[in-house]
Amino acid sequence: MEFKVRAYRFNPEIDEKPYYKEYTVEDYPGMTVLNALIKVKSELDGTLSFRRSCRSAICGSCAMKINGISKLACKTQVSPEIEKFGIINVEPLANMPVVRDLIVDQESFFDKIKEIKPYLLGQREDEAHNHFHVLKEGEKISQPVYYRPEFQNLTGNNDTPNCILCECCYSECGGVVGNPRYLGPAALAKLYRYSEDPRDNDKNGSRLVNGSKPDGMWDCVHCQSCEEFCPKGISPVKSIVKLHERTIKNSITFSAGSKHVVSIAKSIGETGRLDEIKVAFDSGGISGLINDLPMAFGAGLKGKIPPLRLKLIKDMDDIRLAYKELDLEEK
Amino acid sequence: MLKHDVVIVGAGLAGLRAAVELRKKGIDAVIVSKVYPTRSHSGAAQGGVNAAFDENDSWESHFFDTVKGSDYLGDQDAIEILTSEAPANILDLQRMGVVFNRNDKGGIAQRPFGGQSFPRSCYYADAVGHMMLHGLFDNVLKYKTKILYEYLVTSLVTDNGKVSGVVAYDIKNGKFEGIAAKAVLFATGGYGQVYSSNTNALINTGDGMAVSIKAGVPLMDMEFVQFHPTTLKSTGILVTEGARGEGAYLLNSLGVRFMSKYAPKAMELAPRDVVARAEQTEINEGRGVDGAILLDVRHLGKERIMERLPQIMQLSIDFEGVNPIYEPIPIRPGAHYSMGGIKTDYNGRTVVEGYYSAGESACVSVHGANRLGGNSLLDTVVFGRRSGIDIAEYLKTAEERKFDESTVKRDEEVFEKLKKSSGKERHGLLKSELQEEMRADVGVFREENAMKKALDKINELKERAKNIGIDDKSKTFNTDIVEAFEFNNILLIAEVIARGAILRKESRGAHYRTDFPERDDEKWLKHTLATLDGNGDIKFDFSEVAVTKFKPQPRTY
Repeated sequence: MEFKVRAYRFNPEIDEKPYYKEYTVEDYPGMTVLNALIKVKSELDGTLSFRRSCRSAICGSCAMKINGISKLACKTQVSPEIEKFGIINVEPLANMPVVRDLIVDQESFFDKIKEIKPYLLGQREDEAHNHFHVLKEGEKISQPVYYRPEFQNLTGNNDTPNCILCECCYSECGGVVGNPRYLGPAALAKLYRYSEDPRDNDKNGSRLVNGSKPDGMWDCVHCQSCEEFCPKGISPVKSIVKLHERTIKNSITFSAGSKHVVSIAKSIGETGRLDEIKVAFDSGGISGLINDLPMAFGAGLKGKIPPLRLKLIKDMDDIRLAYKELDLEEK
Repeated sequence: MLKHDVVIVGAGLAGLRAAVELRKKGIDAVIVSKVYPTRSHSGAAQGGVNAAFDENDSWESHFFDTVKGSDYLGDQDAIEILTSEAPANILDLQRMGVVFNRNDKGGIAQRPFGGQSFPRSCYYADAVGHMMLHGLFDNVLKYKTKILYEYLVTSLVTDNGKVSGVVAYDIKNGKFEGIAAKAVLFATGGYGQVYSSNTNALINTGDGMAVSIKAGVPLMDMEFVQFHPTTLKSTGILVTEGARGEGAYLLNSLGVRFMSKYAPKAMELAPRDVVARAEQTEINEGRGVDGAILLDVRHLGKERIMERLPQIMQLSIDFEGVNPIYEPIPIRPGAHYSMGGIKTDYNGRTVVEGYYSAGESACVSVHGANRLGGNSLLDTVVFGRRSGIDIAEYLKTAEERKFDESTVKRDEEVFEKLKKSSGKERHGLLKSELQEEMRADVGVFREENAMKKALDKINELKERAKNIGIDDKSKTFNTDIVEAFEFNNILLIAEVIARGAILRKESRGAHYRTDFPERDDEKWLKHTLATLDGNGDIKFDFSEVAVTKFKPQPRTY
């Protein structure tokens, strides 16, 4: 069966603006989108440019938008895509500038990975095996028993180590759309993975502090796209939520995002209601309130005005009980 | 022109491990890689990395297993280093942040692997290469290492027998760049793309080996190509030996565990050369299933499969349409690993002063005629680290040298000429023809006449390669020209393999000659060394095998 590949084309040396070019390819059972692109390139048009390497979904090179969704071309079968869309439409990933055709400039993505200090910090004092010991004849090595043997691995069963940095999550991330400086799901999940590692010894919590700054973990909009589109079945957003919990537990609450969360918890714990004015004030201070004024005014015009004084709700005892069970202290 | 003290070419495990060693000491080392480091093919290694940790195991046992696995062609002084430094290297990785599965005592869990007399493969589910690659990459970031990614190295530059740098093509903007250095390390991986049905990434085109032999550095034991026994039937994608380590069966069309016939003691966990030949024999004698063998993990149960072999499960579903929890996986042997490579000593040194190689691109030789599963990841970190240490020492006394800038112009002209060619041959199609020929006639089973036919084909392709046309004339990310360069590399490597295989008139490890089915220690317990003469023709020389502790014995499993 023949099908059509419709490819996004742009070469900055030649083209003023991007265009699409169609190719006709012969299908075979089990053909992947990457197979189709390789066939186009080697037989029809050597100028079609894309990255690829392992062809087994472990290197992350061939991430691209396939019929609108960020996927690995190597693990996307042609036939179900054709059944659903009638065509293979390929475009470069979003949220990064296009270099050429299906190739994006990944520099910003990897800069953000570097920014979160993706490595163990400090040296643990109880680490008795710090030297490199070459064995002599008849000698055996003793290995350190790592700190939490109940874990199957050393990262508290967090799934981030399986991440291949393919950028699908980053391409689909609602947070990056809104704020291109936002660290994004892959970097933040990695931040969480290292901060949870029992071998890490980040004494002053510098990694969590850095991650709490503007453009960091509190810029996640919880759209869940990173989880939905991850080709390796990882959920960065779950790691980000845990990061939020961890920073608040460690009293790293200087950021507007964490203040926002703490204030909401406090308001509900006290009255059972959301004191929107107070939450806005607690999160952003006077300047935050002033910044919010146009929005508040707009809401007011539509008849949405928060009450100035909150009454306790009837079932306050239930709320207190729930808070107790959740182990949230009322402050 | 750029200038650094050390240039590391390749950003897989060996390159990154060397980089960490150098950067830890504050040495000015730059990494040059044709892909972003995390795209390197080390990440596809699945099953394990060997080191003797258990109190009932010993590194000496690992030493012997490796020598026997190599069919006595491995250099025993080097294998001694490999195995005695193994545990320390694994713990070192662990300190750097690499995660291994745990046993119930809190130590590193280990699984059985082929040809090993003890379960000594450390693992992270079935993605240990991925785990190690990303862990080392993170450490390279920790030491703020400069990385020139998407740079293709086209030449090694020397000055009076000493290395003086490399020429690199910046794929992003099509510019050639000279990079001067006092030391150069090639950690450029293997050449799996010489064969159709291989487990390798599309980037594994033996570039480093081809560039080396063209610069006068000998390639050693290139006729030894490992065929992995379990690769997915349709795509050649790797199915880890760890599957058999966890207890998987190999079945023929009669549902029989045929390994009982070929390796009655080791069964499915015989070394790869033995299992690959057994499978091919079953297929050739009509007991295959549509040209494949079945790998059955069903009896391990869903839970164990999901815990220990999650990637294999997903790969089988995505690429073969088979869920291994319910159905056996159709597999067949596929080209996997190059035992041969750039000749080095056990500190990574080559014959050219200041020029080093480590990992799959190098031939130390620790794998000899057949590599044991779980020893290649070990090789990368042991010899990557040792190369880094030796380079650091070398720099203390290394003198300044001249970088011949005309080499940059020369390589640029080669690419420009290629771009202007109006030839009608397409390198993508020539590559397929070469791969198919090599699979058919220089594969698991080899025989003189068939291999001569392969040489004829190679010669024909060399002629046709002169008429390769390039569609893409532009400078921005021109992958068309990169692929043409890569094709010429695999063509050269294929010829070295075929000529070496014709020359070696015996069967040893992965090199099996149906016309010379016995191992011949009298005549052939030696390494082959390939170089190019003035006309660009391949010629061979030999060198001694280091036999220290273990005299060659018959090899049965």
